[in-house]
Amino acid sequence: MDAETARLLAAGIAMGLGAIGPGIGIGILGAGAMQALGRNPEARGPIMTNMILAIAMAEAVAIYALVVSIVLIFVA
Amino acid sequence: MSRKGCLGCSFPVLIVIIVVVLAVGIVSFLSGALGKAIVGNVGLPEIFTVDAPHVQLPAEDIFHIGGFAVTNTLIASWITIVVLVALAWAVTHRIKLIPSRLQSLLEFAIEWLLNLCVDVAGEKNGRRFFPIIATIFLFVIMNAWLSLVPGFGSITYTVVENGEEHVLPLLRGANTDINFTLALSIVSFFFVSYFGIKQSRMLFFKQFFNVPRFIRGVGQLVSGKVKTGLGSIGFGAIDMFVGFLEFISYFIRLVSFSFRLFGNMLGGEILLFVMLFLMPFLLAVPFYGLELLVGAIQALIFGGLTLVFATMAVTLHEHEEAH
Repeated sequence: MDAETARLLAAGIAMGLGAIGPGIGIGILGAGAMQALGRNPEARGPIMTNMILAIAMAEAVAIYALVVSIVLIFVA
Repeated sequence: MSRKGCLGCSFPVLIVIIVVVLAVGIVSFLSGALGKAIVGNVGLPEIFTVDAPHVQLPAEDIFHIGGFAVTNTLIASWITIVVLVALAWAVTHRIKLIPSRLQSLLEFAIEWLLNLCVDVAGEKNGRRFFPIIATIFLFVIMNAWLSLVPGFGSITYTVVENGEEHVLPLLRGANTDINFTLALSIVSFFFVSYFGIKQSRMLFFKQFFNVPRFIRGVGQLVSGKVKTGLGSIGFGAIDMFVGFLEFISYFIRLVSFSFRLFGNMLGGEILLFVMLFLMPFLLAVPFYGLELLVGAIQALIFGGLTLVFATMAVTLHEHEEAH
């Protein structure tokens, strides 16, 4: 395996593995928000804002993986 | 209304719109990389094709003042500042009791931000934190949205370097420069530390270097109370370790703040480029909407997290009293 192949492979693996955790996290968050909505439909506004904020926090982890992959492909 | 219509247009207009959209869709599909891979090259003119995305991580230098390199992201961020100042001036130089449309828009934004600060940090601290939180929010959101204005990246600038001509974009969203996001997170870091130290004094440092219990344990050991002394030393060691973790996570915030914004914005830009490359004109449009949302959310997160951390830093004192 030459260096080019290894780099592309590493970028793909980094992004793929890095997306697993945030994916699970966002799923749990969404499920929690839906349950909260079902129990208390009047609190739609605050639930929505907080859910989006928390999702963005979870998503940030995937973004780190994305940065690593971008660096691997385009810079390294 | 005698003529019936659909979607707010009369039928002839609707038919023309559908035909135009279909034509644009077919042309964009055939000229993009996606269509070329499926159908093959059908010989459409070159202007329809978009080049493969060229990703540039560090910002390009446009010109130098002395030894100081002026990059395209720096120019873009100054344009953002000019736009914000112009907006603020246009509204406040002639402020009215019955607001005009622009004034009520800005009043709405400012009021919403103030309410956010007061909700999170309380009346007194919320008003104190408001200026910097609002500045961060408005700056980040304007940076993100201005870079989505069509034509923003199309203005190019040719630099001759060592006899080679480089065509560089004159403007590039400031959020896609790691230096900018790092600078912004350093600002927020010092802001949090300043208010934390000012409000909580020694307690602010005590959360990182939590040694009193350890020292008390040593004292008890020396004065002969071996059993309680050893217990205090054990718990004191745990306290110190927790403080050490706090200390590390306090500095890791710098990294996560800057990389979150940088990664989101750069990822969004590359996403738009790739979509344009795969299928020009049409496929990028929904992602434009997504990027508008992402820009707003990232600005909210940057400002909101700074607000939350600052609130945590100034309320250390009250926590300790409650124990």
